[in-house]
Amino acid sequence: MSDHGAHVDEHFSGSNKLFISIWVWLLILTLLEIFLAYRPMDLFFMLTILLGLSLIKAALIMAYFMHLKFERLSLILTLIPALVVCILLLFVFFPDSFRSLGLRYQYKEAPALAPAPVEDH
Amino acid sequence: MSETHEGVHRHPAPTGFIRKYIFSIDHKVIGIQYIMLALAAVVVGMLMSLLMRLQLSWPGTDWPILGTLFPTGAPNGVMNPEFYLSLVTMHGTIMVFFVLTTAPQGGFGNYFLPIQIGAEDMAFPYLNMLSFWVTLVGFIVILMAIFVEGNQGIGEWFATLGPSFAGGSGTVGPIGGWTGYAPLSALGKIAGPGQGGGMNLWIISIAIFCVGSLLGALNFITTLLNMRTKGMTLMRMPLTCWAWFTTAVLALLSFPVLLGGGILLLLDRVANTSFFIPGGLYVSGLLSGSNPNFPLHTGGSPILWQHLFWFFGHPEVYIAILPGMGATSHILATFARKPVFGYRAMVFAIFAIGLLGFFVWGHHMFISGMSPYSAIAFSVLTLSIGVPSAVKTFNWLGTLWGGRIRFTTAMLFALGFVSLFVAGGITGLILGQSSLDLPMHDTYIVTAHFHLVMGVASIFGMFAATYFWFPKMFGRFMSESLGRIHFWITFAGVYAIFMPMHVMGLMGMPRRFSQFTEYNFLVNSSGLVKLVTVAAIITIAVQFVFYFNVFWSMFKGERAGENPWEATTLEWNTPSPPPHDNFAGVLPVVHHGPYEFAVPGAPRDYVMQTDVDVEVPSGNGHNGKH
Amino acid sequence: MSTEARVGTFPAVDWEGGAFPYRVGHRKLGMWLFIISDSLTFSALLIGYSYLRASNVWPTPFPFYPSIVFSSVMTFCLLSSSLTMVFGVSASSKGEKAKARKWILATIIFGVAFIVLHLIEWQHLMHEGLGPFYLPEHWVQAFSENGVPPSPLFGATFFAITGLHMFHVATGAIYLLVVALRINKLNHEDVEISGLYWHFVDLVWMFVFPLIYIMSVDIGGRLAAVAH
Repeated sequence: MSDHGAHVDEHFSGSNKLFISIWVWLLILTLLEIFLAYRPMDLFFMLTILLGLSLIKAALIMAYFMHLKFERLSLILTLIPALVVCILLLFVFFPDSFRSLGLRYQYKEAPALAPAPVEDH
Repeated sequence: MSETHEGVHRHPAPTGFIRKYIFSIDHKVIGIQYIMLALAAVVVGMLMSLLMRLQLSWPGTDWPILGTLFPTGAPNGVMNPEFYLSLVTMHGTIMVFFVLTTAPQGGFGNYFLPIQIGAEDMAFPYLNMLSFWVTLVGFIVILMAIFVEGNQGIGEWFATLGPSFAGGSGTVGPIGGWTGYAPLSALGKIAGPGQGGGMNLWIISIAIFCVGSLLGALNFITTLLNMRTKGMTLMRMPLTCWAWFTTAVLALLSFPVLLGGGILLLLDRVANTSFFIPGGLYVSGLLSGSNPNFPLHTGGSPILWQHLFWFFGHPEVYIAILPGMGATSHILATFARKPVFGYRAMVFAIFAIGLLGFFVWGHHMFISGMSPYSAIAFSVLTLSIGVPSAVKTFNWLGTLWGGRIRFTTAMLFALGFVSLFVAGGITGLILGQSSLDLPMHDTYIVTAHFHLVMGVASIFGMFAATYFWFPKMFGRFMSESLGRIHFWITFAGVYAIFMPMHVMGLMGMPRRFSQFTEYNFLVNSSGLVKLVTVAAIITIAVQFVFYFNVFWSMFKGERAGENPWEATTLEWNTPSPPPHDNFAGVLPVVHHGPYEFAVPGAPRDYVMQTDVDVEVPSGNGHNGKH
Repeated sequence: MSTEARVGTFPAVDWEGGAFPYRVGHRKLGMWLFIISDSLTFSALLIGYSYLRASNVWPTPFPFYPSIVFSSVMTFCLLSSSLTMVFGVSASSKGEKAKARKWILATIIFGVAFIVLHLIEWQHLMHEGLGPFYLPEHWVQAFSENGVPPSPLFGATFFAITGLHMFHVATGAIYLLVVALRINKLNHEDVEISGLYWHFVDLVWMFVFPLIYIMSVDIGGRLAAVAH
């Protein structure tokens, strides 16, 4: 099936050197994450830093490996804001999560947690 | 006279019955297949609603056929409450998924989007065929769910797949509402009848449907962005195309969340996890974790399921209505012989409805125990959707004002859409206020609201589209006289069915109850309930006039030409029905907007999009906005 | 009265029909749209996981060896597979089909290595006593807070999310294998599109790894302190 007017990208932007340097940065950021894992710090703070690092890694992969930086701006604006908005909307779930921490049913005696044989479910 | 340019030869026309009508990659055939699927599904859904109405009006009556078909669910022909609830569940699921999400988008959208933008087919014809067949498999699975629960033998056989797949509880499919709220839907067979294999199949069917819809959505978006013919700028597209595009974007972004939630729910049932099951549940006489038959479940959150479901669920209802809005705009303009009033505003309104539709899912959860601060935000945003909806409504009225109206059946249904959308939409504004929703949630006011907008307005949009495009699809007119009978009785009928439900809701009548005989405060409601049922019986009966009209006219209807309605958009530039590649190898070139009616100085009262020798002054006499 | 919009309102001539507005063909645009939707599926699962984790007592049982070591090597494998994939696409753009095939095969090897390591890790955890609805006894002892035991949802979310991701890696490996074998009949765009899918799989792992592994590292050595 040929797409009429398909524009084959003869000049694939980005040299091998660029890709290797991006790969090195990704590894460095990963090592940073692993290093941070073993630093004692407030959970929320750790989470923010980790998510921030992950976003940077994701942005690097999308921009350079997936070539998005070299596409037209209109494509980036079509795809990325929609995804970001939807993910941010999912965060609206969290107030219910934080509140339910205090609402949990507390067992007087914890029932056995070993795997129960399920005959007739 | 119209200008054209050479198209690219894509696929040769198929030969043989199977390639032409069964496994076809032609978007027109696939569109008709979706419509046929919807026509079949709606019969099943209507039958279920009829049974529900009979139970509500005459509870405790023995219905002979039921006793024979469902000896467990309706012993001696008298419906169990569980039987009724399974009807509620399956009616909702089949109607919302297999009627309202297939016909407007997959049916008419598939058929007419490529033609209206001047393309020869969709961007991915094989993916299109796959989407339809995946959706059909989903439908077969949901029908299986009916039999796995309804039939003892089949239900027992299903248990061979795994203990959580056992069925045979005698209900007409799973129980859980079309919303499948946890923890009931997550517990499995221990929770009672209708919670066995049928529920597993329900989840699987919806997951399959998600995949089919997602593939379809990306096909629509790619086609619309990449395959418009020369001259077809985005702002020259018919409003139907804008509606189908926005609907596809909504589907692309909301169905994955349902898929994720559905995976977790299925794991809860099959793998004993507790994503949505909180601790300390006492079910069927057993405390969670105290008995091998009811393993320990702890830590899950039912509200999480509600969030995940409604994050999808709200865009889903806009997916159901937006194509109808697009078709209404299109048809009103054509038969009022006037351009759509405020085309640009209509486009932005479609966008706004689509965008805001993502922000308001919490209004289904006002009484769930969700954070009241979120509720404030959801409430305000829900009310704000009233603004673009009102823009559209006033623009429809503006389109009609001063027009030379031709009252064809399609026009009548389009007018009916406007009426019903307003009727249903107003209660949306009331229910959207969280404080008012507290007493109204789970009453018949909600039922009235969503049936009017989703169940009726959306269907009227599809009826209008059918009567309008039938001559193009089959080269023959539908019978106008039968159409008028269909319209007037249905129009009166749906008002007679759903208007009294507002009264019932204000009386405090709750949803999803199989009978109200035990409640003193509802003693006076039985008259209204019976009225609704009689209206429902008549309305359902007259739909068979429609079915007869459709199938008879396909073969015996009066022949129609290329442009019987004197409309302007690209689909009226092709023969009726269009050839395999829509434009016989020569793609049209577009010079004008989609609704150039009553152009001063033009030779006819309509200017087709492809006409070359006509001057259409721009910015002339419409608010100075363009 | 006219509804025609002024021509030239949109800056790019590509929006006037008869052209690709993004200068991207159908299949590439379709793959991007698929990636957006699949990202949302994973987002829903990850947000669900975070939601459940925030509202429950949660174990943090991963020791440096084997869990963090394995998962770090797995991360290295995926990142390197992305690099080899980019090299493959770059070679394909220059028409060097044989070279492209070699790089794609290298990508597949890294992908398979990921899956093998992941399965070994799963097997180790299951052997230790982790399941979809139960935790090993010593974890319960080590991570209870004020008498409240840690949630078995740890196992449920772990297997669900990593399982779905592994499924995507496996599907991607098969897809790439087909592309590598048929590379002479495919054009460059098809290779590029398969690369997009593969990078997407890597991208998801960039979020799964910190949220599931790094956030569950056994910092205080609580597990080691419990005799088992």
